[in-house]
Amino acid sequence: MLETINLSKSFKGKKVVQDLNLYLADGESVGLLGPNGAGKSTTISMISTLIKPTSGRITMNGVNAIDKPGEIRSVSGVVPQELALYQELSAYENLKFFGSIYKLRGKELAKAIQQALEFVGLDDRKKDLVRTYSGGMKRRLNIAAALLHRPQILILDEPTVGIDPQSRNHILEAVRTLNQQDGTTILYTSHYMEEVEQLCDRLYIMDHGKVIAAGTKEELLRILSTEDKIKVEVNKLDEAFVEQVKTIEGVHKIEVTELQLKIIAAKGSSLISKLVHLTEKHHIQLLNFQTETPSLEDVFLHLTGRTLRD
Amino acid sequence: MKDVLWAQFAKDKRKPLLVLLLIVGSIAATLLFGGGLQSVTTVVIFSEEANAAEIEKKWGGLLNTNDTFTFEVVEPDKAREDIKKGNSDVAVKLMEDDYRLLVSKNMPSVSSVEQHVKKVFLQEAQIRAVESQEGGDVREEIESYLDDPPFQLVAQGLDSEQITAYNIRTQLLFAFTFLISMFLLGFKVNNVTQDKVAGIWDRMILSPLKKTNMYSGYLLYSFLITMFQIVVVLIVFKYVLQYDVGDNLWLIILIAACFTFGMISIAMLITGFVRTPEQFYAIYPSVIPVIPLVSGVYMMPGTITNPVLLFIADLFPLAHAMEAIMSVVFYGTGLQDVLMSLLYMLLIGIVAMGVGINLVERRSN
Repeated sequence: MLETINLSKSFKGKKVVQDLNLYLADGESVGLLGPNGAGKSTTISMISTLIKPTSGRITMNGVNAIDKPGEIRSVSGVVPQELALYQELSAYENLKFFGSIYKLRGKELAKAIQQALEFVGLDDRKKDLVRTYSGGMKRRLNIAAALLHRPQILILDEPTVGIDPQSRNHILEAVRTLNQQDGTTILYTSHYMEEVEQLCDRLYIMDHGKVIAAGTKEELLRILSTEDKIKVEVNKLDEAFVEQVKTIEGVHKIEVTELQLKIIAAKGSSLISKLVHLTEKHHIQLLNFQTETPSLEDVFLHLTGRTLRD
Repeated sequence: MKDVLWAQFAKDKRKPLLVLLLIVGSIAATLLFGGGLQSVTTVVIFSEEANAAEIEKKWGGLLNTNDTFTFEVVEPDKAREDIKKGNSDVAVKLMEDDYRLLVSKNMPSVSSVEQHVKKVFLQEAQIRAVESQEGGDVREEIESYLDDPPFQLVAQGLDSEQITAYNIRTQLLFAFTFLISMFLLGFKVNNVTQDKVAGIWDRMILSPLKKTNMYSGYLLYSFLITMFQIVVVLIVFKYVLQYDVGDNLWLIILIAACFTFGMISIAMLITGFVRTPEQFYAIYPSVIPVIPLVSGVYMMPGTITNPVLLFIADLFPLAHAMEAIMSVVFYGTGLQDVLMSLLYMLLIGIVAMGVGINLVERRSN
């Protein structure tokens, strides 16, 4: 099991990651969710032993991995956010190089390359130069390069940034297969809530270098179990109306988009009758009224006051 | 290490244009600036004395005895205008018994022109001195005398073989080959920064590959490809263009190897100061052309006498490499004679490499 204890990292005096406690059990799929700049990549770099933490510990099966980075390196594969590939070489040549640095040779290397190419669906394009690939294909090859030595833990740092939906689905499906069929432990970072929701058993939500919530999806949603999320559509909106909605007892947050209001309010706060009363008072016509189940995006909004893509 | 070496080679195999261009570039530069194609260089001459026509006729005849140069009389204004605009590298202003060189840019050919003009004026001064003492026209007598002098000075080395005469073309061949090799090795060393930025370096760190093997792979490849370039150019000049590069080619290659190691280390040192490959591309090509200028490799030996410039030149391997090569080519010296130069280059290499790698590692942390 991989564990971090009070892990912190500072760059030039600025704390980028603060007191991060995280664990990864064997065979688990864990998501690290947070907006850009939350400290996810720094966390990944520390866990994969690429950079040393300023303070705190990382243990792998009880062994201090900061002093003995080989403990993690020997069992992990890292898919970096950048495309760490030689653009001038073919997919096959890239994998041959990345496999050979893991001491794979001869038939063993050829088999590992073939399996990795088939796994990411690039077998038919293996002789093409990487620079001729689409963004999605490059991302898939980026993953394949981390799988050659069959790692027990796969650490993926935003592997779907800037690619088409088809490639994205392919990558998500591949990661799910690795976890569910091969039993590979997954640590997946993303700022796409839906990816993490689909893939991961447990989540850590990070913001400003800190873990602000952790647990299974159900546990995190329970944070909002005392609240309702109501979507209201009106024919017109004015500031006075919005201000008065905010003053309704039990209303926690309002998000205004054109002629739509998203309101998060305490359960049983008799919001509906008060809203109807307010619309009549402001001569506003209520077009639609809908109560929604809160999502993880709402949990993040609730915890940080902003959306993941802010 | 061999995996890293293979990856670097595979990249160049796919895109060999840079290496090929640099090889062709060093050959072309030597031929162009060293007059290797034996083309005749035209040098303009003029006089502003009262009897200008007479002076121009007299010195024109005396100067036009060299196959390499043609001295052509032009109007003083035109000569000055061409120098100002940079159309001519050099013009010679003639006086009754003296001359002045007007130089627009310090090209290697200027030294050769100066050498020839000086020789002609000195010889003429000697003839006049004899004429004033002996009286009468002794020119023909002196010239026939000089064709078969009773005393002949023959310079010989310790092994009793005649010493090869100094030749600026040979010097320029090595100067340009080394200049271009510095660019090639620099671009190859920059692959370290490129792969760091791309994340490939991190992949290697996470693998069982040792860091010493990673550095060795990149640096050995830079060394091998640069040596390939130097050796190809030398072979072309020695066996195809019939340049006199001495008989001890292996010693020259050894000197070139020490030079390449020293310069790879300097490139590694610069890598230690930059964060991105683009920064390296901005800094390195600005620094490199200055090294041969400071080291005086485009000029006759001994031209640079400024102690500060000489000190700066000593900090780079080029001055030591050129000194060693010139002594091997022109004076037929052996390994023992050039050992100090080799040791200087190795020392520069070891110090620069140590500091460079240290800086790169500190930056990574």
